[in-house]
Amino acid sequence: MLLFCEQLLNGLQLGVTLFLMSAGLTLVFGIMQVINLAHGSFYMIGAYVGATVALHSGSFLLAIFAALGASWLAGCLAEALILRHLYRRRHLDQVLATFGVILFCNEMTRIIWGRQPLFMDIPAALSGSVQILPGLPYPIYRLAVLAVGLAVAVLLWLIFTRTRIGMQVRAGAVNREMVAALGVNITLLYTLVFGCGAMLAGLAGLMAGPILAVEPGMGESILILTFVVIVIGGIGSVRGAFIGAVLVGLVDTLGRAFLPLLLRLLLSPATADSVAASLASMAIYIFMALVLVIKPKGLFPAHH
Amino acid sequence: MAEALLDVTGLNKSFGALLATNDLSLSVRQGEVHALIGPNGAGKTTLVNQLSGDLIADSGRVVFRGQDITRLPAHHRARLGIARSFQITHIFENLTVAENLGLALLAGHGGNFHFFRHWRRAPRLTERLEEALTRFDLLQHRDQPAASLSHGEKRQLEVGMALVVDPQLLILDEPMAGLGPGGTVELTRIIRRLKGQLTILLVEHDMDVVFSLADRITVLVYGHDIATGTPAEIRGNALVRQAYLGEEG
Amino acid sequence: MTRKQLFLLLAAVLLSLLPAAAHLFGNPYLLSLASRILIYGLAAASLDLLLGYGAMISLGHAAYVGIGAYAAGILHLHLGAPGLAPALALVADSEVSGLVILPLAVLAASLAALVIGALCLRTTGMHFIMITLAFAQMLYYFFISLEAYGGDDGLSLLGRSKLPLVNLDNDTHFYYFCLFCLIAFLLLASRLVHSRFGLILRGTGDNERRARGLGVNTGRYRLALFTIAGGSAGLAGALLANHSEFVSPGLLNWTLSGELMVMVLLGGIGTLFGPVFGAAVYLLLEEGLNMYTEHWMAYMGPLLVLAVLFARNGLLPLLISGRKRHG
Ligand SMILES: Nc1ncnc2c1ncn2[C@@H]1O[C@H](COP(=O)(O)OP(=O)(O)OP(=O)(O)O)[C@@H](O)[C@H]1O
Ligand SMILES: [Mg+2]
Repeated sequence: MLLFCEQLLNGLQLGVTLFLMSAGLTLVFGIMQVINLAHGSFYMIGAYVGATVALHSGSFLLAIFAALGASWLAGCLAEALILRHLYRRRHLDQVLATFGVILFCNEMTRIIWGRQPLFMDIPAALSGSVQILPGLPYPIYRLAVLAVGLAVAVLLWLIFTRTRIGMQVRAGAVNREMVAALGVNITLLYTLVFGCGAMLAGLAGLMAGPILAVEPGMGESILILTFVVIVIGGIGSVRGAFIGAVLVGLVDTLGRAFLPLLLRLLLSPATADSVAASLASMAIYIFMALVLVIKPKGLFPAHH
Repeated sequence: MAEALLDVTGLNKSFGALLATNDLSLSVRQGEVHALIGPNGAGKTTLVNQLSGDLIADSGRVVFRGQDITRLPAHHRARLGIARSFQITHIFENLTVAENLGLALLAGHGGNFHFFRHWRRAPRLTERLEEALTRFDLLQHRDQPAASLSHGEKRQLEVGMALVVDPQLLILDEPMAGLGPGGTVELTRIIRRLKGQLTILLVEHDMDVVFSLADRITVLVYGHDIATGTPAEIRGNALVRQAYLGEEG
Repeated sequence: MTRKQLFLLLAAVLLSLLPAAAHLFGNPYLLSLASRILIYGLAAASLDLLLGYGAMISLGHAAYVGIGAYAAGILHLHLGAPGLAPALALVADSEVSGLVILPLAVLAASLAALVIGALCLRTTGMHFIMITLAFAQMLYYFFISLEAYGGDDGLSLLGRSKLPLVNLDNDTHFYYFCLFCLIAFLLLASRLVHSRFGLILRGTGDNERRARGLGVNTGRYRLALFTIAGGSAGLAGALLANHSEFVSPGLLNWTLSGELMVMVLLGGIGTLFGPVFGAAVYLLLEEGLNMYTEHWMAYMGPLLVLAVLFARNGLLPLLISGRKRHG
């Protein structure tokens, strides 16, 4: 039971990280109809810049600002220099160009920071753990990640339901012509959405820094998970992204934790472990396949 | 009274808050040219899409030759004998003109899982393809990519692809759009020659064409059929004059 | 047209003389690299069937290369082991193991493509791109977790498959066998795209709505093509496994899918022969840049972006058409 609670929290924490990644990306897909593979690079940039600043200045707060600023800047630059010219092009061109961006970013991090992974310390204020249940200590830092993720989700929800610009963006993700009809400065809006999406990805990368290794190519494994989230949630839907992210986080974490235990009831321990390892690593994809069979456009399809 | 080939009853389709098709009923008789008119945005294309299977109605029924096809996918309906042309040209731009027509001729029969022999050597295709190319005046462009045709030629190909399949019901969505006077006359002649051989549902804005070709006319306003009748009846219908014809003077 | 034929003829002559040249220069590595180019060319050309003719943007093509490779590797392992299923042992002993291994590798990749394709083709557009990628990643993790066959470390083959007439352990023979497979594939595929199946498929890729309106059950054609392309990629994978006598999950990594796509783009989408050329350019560029800097990808990336933005139709069409048509 305690194990279950712990894994549940771990799953939620992975979920909110994925949400930070997918919220911006799903809007970019929905509004600009552009497939962007380079979103993982913003995550990586956030992690690297954050880790470096934290290492040299010793201030986690400074690291936050640096990481957010860097990923926001990278997003705006990528949009203005490359993606803007791809909006009206076929998806294939978008895939290839953003693939080029990934190659470049990964290699640049290797040049600047080397091939060895960077390790980032948990900020002192957030180190240690608390007893969340009797007999269940849980790292404060992970709780903080969870809290930040949820706070961002609430903030986004407020923006999208309470502010004019938020409603315009949401309308645009559902129906592209709508944005033009509202007389918004589209170029600016696109850059803004793209930059903010990149910033959220950078935030996710920064927060993952102390938990995972900061290394070149770290953006791609999370990018593919993000795609799974978006496919499950439905392109263009932030609500779908949230629910998809939490579901994927839970399925992945709980699958890894409990599939071996479950299978041991049926199979010999050795076979159970190896089968469970395979199954657990595929669990979210199988889950995605199930969603696809039932709802090909995702759980919350936007109408185009 | 001739029996109905196509029977539409109580059809509804909404896009968000907009009721694009609103309790629409329509009956197309075997062998007639049935015109569908209505102001811009009346929901004519939306209806055509629901007949062809490109859209699925929210509620109501579409019956074709006694069979309920309301929820049938588009390719099924095509095989039952419903062919359509599109208002916005939908041709295979990257294929040659001959390939466009050849595909139309081959597609309806299924059984195209032949991987090796050139498609042109499919049984009983050559003569029909030549005939189609001649009929639509596209012979000299046969090996040209369809994208390189002029607008008028594209429209001809558009309608041609719907015609060559020998459908039971031919739905033409504004076939004359952008054709110019010469092309309009030519296409009117082609359609007139088809009269009696097959049933045609014709969506058209050009009133001269409509009144000269149609056996019966249905008027659509805000997605609802406000009147159906012979050209004379429609001309005399006060409701129609007020809602639609009146606007044009 | 004649210019294209000339180009192909020239390429064929050069390719068939290459082993002799490699001998002359006393550089066996050249031959190994050339074989690799042919194999990647095969994989890229099979992807071109999807991208250029079916308008299906699969970002998971490496998965089928990987499955072909693993199927070859695993079969090789079992056929080599003493005292296994007698029927298989017979085959293994008769020095024609390749006659079992290669077809089974193709079959395995085709089957995987059939199942995954059936799921992916429920969607289109951006969904399709993401889902093909996701399923490829699933298989990547699957092979990583497959401890019985090396897991993360991969699997060594200890020798190549045995075929009658050719001795694949001989690098020259192996090169010619790859060349044979590639040419056979290209000939069959160029027949395919002009067959009835190919015509319907190209039409479907061009304008799916119209094709459905004409009575085409578009999904079935697309799935058939997806399966064919997957099987062909599987052949490339089996050859690759034989080439390096080693398979690892890295083969299924999504970067390979991306690289195959780049090869198709470089050579020209929808040209079948072009992607082979693209594979050559890409791999030679990799080798060449690698000599000067280990960070060659820092150059490849921007190059790719520029190619997409400015050379839309690839390099080969640029080379062989020279001026605009009938100019
Ligand atoms: N896919 C869609 N999503 C949302 N609204 C739509 C869609 N298709 C059509 N509409 C709306 O439905 C209404 C009917 O459109 P439709 O194209 O059927 O009209 P129409 O009678 O064919 O007009 P026209 O004479 O201009 O061709 C219009 O207001 C249109 O904006
Ligand atoms: Mg219309």
